[in-house]
This record gives sequence, C-alpha cells and structure tokens, in this order.
Amino acid sequence: MLMAAACQFAMAQDVVLVVSRKCSVSSLTQEQVADIFLGKTSTFPNGASVIPIDQQEGTGEREAFYHHFIGKTEAQVRTYWSKIVFTGKGYPPIEVVPPERVKRVIRDNPNYIGYIKRRDVDASVKVVVVLHP
Amino acid sequence: MPPAFALKRKAALTLAILLACGPARAQEAAQAQEVPPVPPIFSINGFGTVGVAHSSERRADFVATDLQRKGAGYSNDWSPYVDSRVGMQLNARFTPDLTGVAQVVSEQRYDGSFAPQVEWANVKYNITPDFSMRAGRIVLPSFLLSDARKVGYSSPWVRTPAEVYNLVPITNSDGIDFSYRQQFGNARNTIQASVGQGSAKAPPDNDITGKRGWGVFDTLEYGNTTFHVSYFRTRLTIEGTQDLEAMARLYGGSAGAALADKYGATDKPFEFYGVGASYETSRWFLMGEYGLINPHSAYGKRVGGYISSGYRIGQVTPYVTYAFADVKSNTSDPGMPLPPAWYPTYSTIAAMNARLNSVLSSAPVQQTYSTGLRWDAYKNVAVKFQFDHSRLGDNSYGMLNNRQSGYVRGGSYNLISATIDFQF
Repeated sequence: MLMAAACQFAMAQDVVLVVSRKCSVSSLTQEQVADIFLGKTSTFPNGASVIPIDQQEGTGEREAFYHHFIGKTEAQVRTYWSKIVFTGKGYPPIEVVPPERVKRVIRDNPNYIGYIKRRDVDASVKVVVVLHP
Repeated sequence: MPPAFALKRKAALTLAILLACGPARAQEAAQAQEVPPVPPIFSINGFGTVGVAHSSERRADFVATDLQRKGAGYSNDWSPYVDSRVGMQLNARFTPDLTGVAQVVSEQRYDGSFAPQVEWANVKYNITPDFSMRAGRIVLPSFLLSDARKVGYSSPWVRTPAEVYNLVPITNSDGIDFSYRQQFGNARNTIQASVGQGSAKAPPDNDITGKRGWGVFDTLEYGNTTFHVSYFRTRLTIEGTQDLEAMARLYGGSAGAALADKYGATDKPFEFYGVGASYETSRWFLMGEYGLINPHSAYGKRVGGYISSGYRIGQVTPYVTYAFADVKSNTSDPGMPLPPAWYPTYSTIAAMNARLNSVLSSAPVQQTYSTGLRWDAYKNVAVKFQFDHSRLGDNSYGMLNNRQSGYVRGGSYNLISATIDFQF
C-alpha cells in the first residue's frame, strides 16, 4: 500500500523520457515532446518516424509526465483527445502495460518513445534530455 | 522533400525494419524481440450529453440551434430536448496513412424527433506526413470549435455560443478537402481547402441546401495560442419564401421582380467570414470569435461574436462569456407599392409585404452574459452548470422560436442549464 501510494507521487525528476539505444535522438525541446505525444507530428526533428507510447491512465508516471513535460492535467489531455478523436484527426498514443514492457518495446524499436521512472532506467534504454525553454 | 521521395523513403524504412527484425529474432532466440502493440483496425468511440434547460420566457422556446423544433420556455418548463444528444463513431485504421471515420448523432431535429443522422463519414489519406486529403461527408471547419462542436465533453461550456455558431446552419459538406501543415520555427500552420455541398432541415420542414460550396480555413498554432481564419462560400437555397418570390414576380411587375431578386433565397451566394483566437494554459483559457455572414437575401447580413475566459481550480473550471449578435442590413422594407384599397390584389400585396418584413426582422439582435462552471467529476464525465442573461434588440426576438400569441419582442430573459457530458 505504502509503495503504491509512493508511486502516485512520483515527481517530475523521477520520470524520464526514454528511447532505444539504437535511436540517434538524444535531446528534444519541451515543445517537440508535446508535439509528439499530442499527435501533432509523426516524426523526430531529424525526420525519422516516431511513435509515442503511454503508460496506463492513473499511474503516477503518466500523471507526472503530462504535468511536467506537456503542462496538462490528465483531464485536460482527455479533453484534448476528445476533440481530435471525434473528428477522425488522430488517435491518442497506444498504452503499454506494465512499465517493464514499455522498456522492452523501446529497447527493441528505435522509432518508439516513452517515459519511465528514473529508477527503472538501465542499459537497455537511453534517457532523452528535455530542454526547457 | 518531394512527396514521391518521402513515400519511397517510408517504404524503404518499413522494409529495413522488417529485414532487421527477421535475422535479429533468429539470432537472439534467448532474448525475444518485444513486438510493440498494434492498434486495432476498427474502434468505436461514443459521446453524449444529458441536460436540462429552463427559460424565464414562457411565451417562446429557447433552442440551442435554429434547427430544433421545441425547447425550454413554452414547450417545457425544464426541457431535456435542448442539449441532450448521443453520438457514436466508428474509426478505421486501414494503414497508418489510410484512415476512415463515420459518426452518427442523435439529437433533436426540425420535427422534434431524435432520428439519428450521419454527421460525417469520410476516408483520409496522408499523401505525405504533412499533406492529407479527405473524401466523403466532412465537417465544415467554419469555427474554432466546429470539429468537436457536438462533443460537449471537449468544450468548457454547456453549449457553443449560439450568436456565432448559429451563423452558419450547415455543419458538414459532402465533398473533398485537402489539408497542408507547415512548420515555421515554433509556429505550425495548417491550411485547409474544401469543396462540396451540404444541407440542413429547419422547422417546420424547410430544406436549407448549399451547392457548389468551397472554403479556405487556416489555423495557426503558436505555443498556447491558436488563431483561426475562415472563408466559406456556397450557393444557398432556404426553403420557405419561394412562394413569395414567385408571387412578387407575378403581381409586382418590375418592382416585384427587383424585390424578388434582392430578397429571394433561391440559389443565392452565401458568404461567411470568420476569425477566432484562443489562449489556453493548464490554469486558464481566453478565447474569442467573430463571424459575418452575407446570404444576399431577406435573411440579412448578420454578425456575431463572443469572448470567454475560465480559470481552473482543481477539477472545477468556472467561466464567463459575453456574446452578441447583430444585423448589418435593413430589417424592414416598404415592399411592393400598394394598389388602391378597392383593387383585387390589395390584400394579397399587403400580406406579401408583411411576410417580407417578418423575414427581414427575423435576424437576431441580442447580447448574452453567461457564467458557469465545468466540473471534471469522473474520468470521461464532466458536469456543467450555466446561467445566461440575454437582452434582445428592441424589435428582435433573438434566437427564440416557437413564439406564441402574446409574445412581445425585445426585453430580456434568463436561462439556467445543467448538463452531464460523457465519452467512452
């Protein structure tokens, strides 16, 4: 229980953006991250295609990620996708569970990008530096 | 990058990934490749609103759009028919670049029924990542929130401000559109061009038909700010005054023909100009829109605008909105010269002049002050309350319809609304 409660309060510095080690991208601006996760672009700045993956709604990682990297609450993100989905303009990122699978998907697929807890980072993935304006 | 090259590049990339995956799996039998989840080809989403509205004006009905037959006030003290609706959407992802969408909406119509209508049904093809084409029944993106206008959950208010959103009765177009996205530094511009035709049905049973329509719509996003500009034109026929046109030509000689040409609503150029802007952060929003229509008919050159702002406190977002509608063309006309009172056509011509003037004065003139709040009560459920105070122009009944005997134009009324918006 305590562990679960602690997860809910994962702070910004505890969630990091990760890509495959095979991916050449090592840094993104906060705006580029938002564009990728809000479906406004389908490519990395270098032109390679990018597919964002989400953790499950209600997880501390997801809440912290959207709050600190995108600047939106989960309710605002749902409202945003409501506008996009109900016009056929796009789809929210696919959800991958559990977090260990997020790491494996990213490890093996250089076009994917996701977020995990900093303490879960290991040699299989690469942390992307997010440049704040 | 030329489109053809981009396509080839994409195909080459896919091939490379496929080739890379094959041997990798064989070599690393111990460490299985993690295959990313593939989104389903077909998915279904739905949305809806359950709401009630109460108006202080008892001799007429408040309606959310001109296309509804009955509303709050005269027909129902607390009307569930103004805002309630349900929509179902089928999404198809045939390939990442070929997608389709079909949306069916049930809401109150011109005849008071809730017969479901196909709101849109189209396929979209991404010619390049930034250039796409759609064909079928497509939303007409006249306004900032046109796309999701019927999805209450996606907007901060109980309903989109009628002063602006009711300017254009037709919300979708059967045809094709192209969308081109460009990046200028931190700004992203999307220009859309569409051609097609559309229609709507207004009470009691009048067809509104737009033919040979085309429009250009531009959206510029810069950080938290979005600008929207639109121009749309169609050949519009509004059923309901065609007998008047015919009679004016028959009885009115050259004066009658001139009136029929000026005020007739058969195959007339209808033009719409719109501008809008919004600024939204995780804490608050500020947005406004202004629109002008010129239907080149008795329905009058109309303008409408609104400005709205809200501030989020936890799960609750209170907001205020000011909206206005006005008419920029004449709201009365002497009509056809009357013959002497003993003449057989006297009463016919007098009645025709009266009908012409009733259409001319139907353009709404009103100001509305609104305040309300949105409460994100549960995941995918928003509860909203709104209070509106509308002041009508001296000779206007604003957007009230189903007016009963004893109704007096002008004055003001209050409206209370409560809705629950959901999506799934």
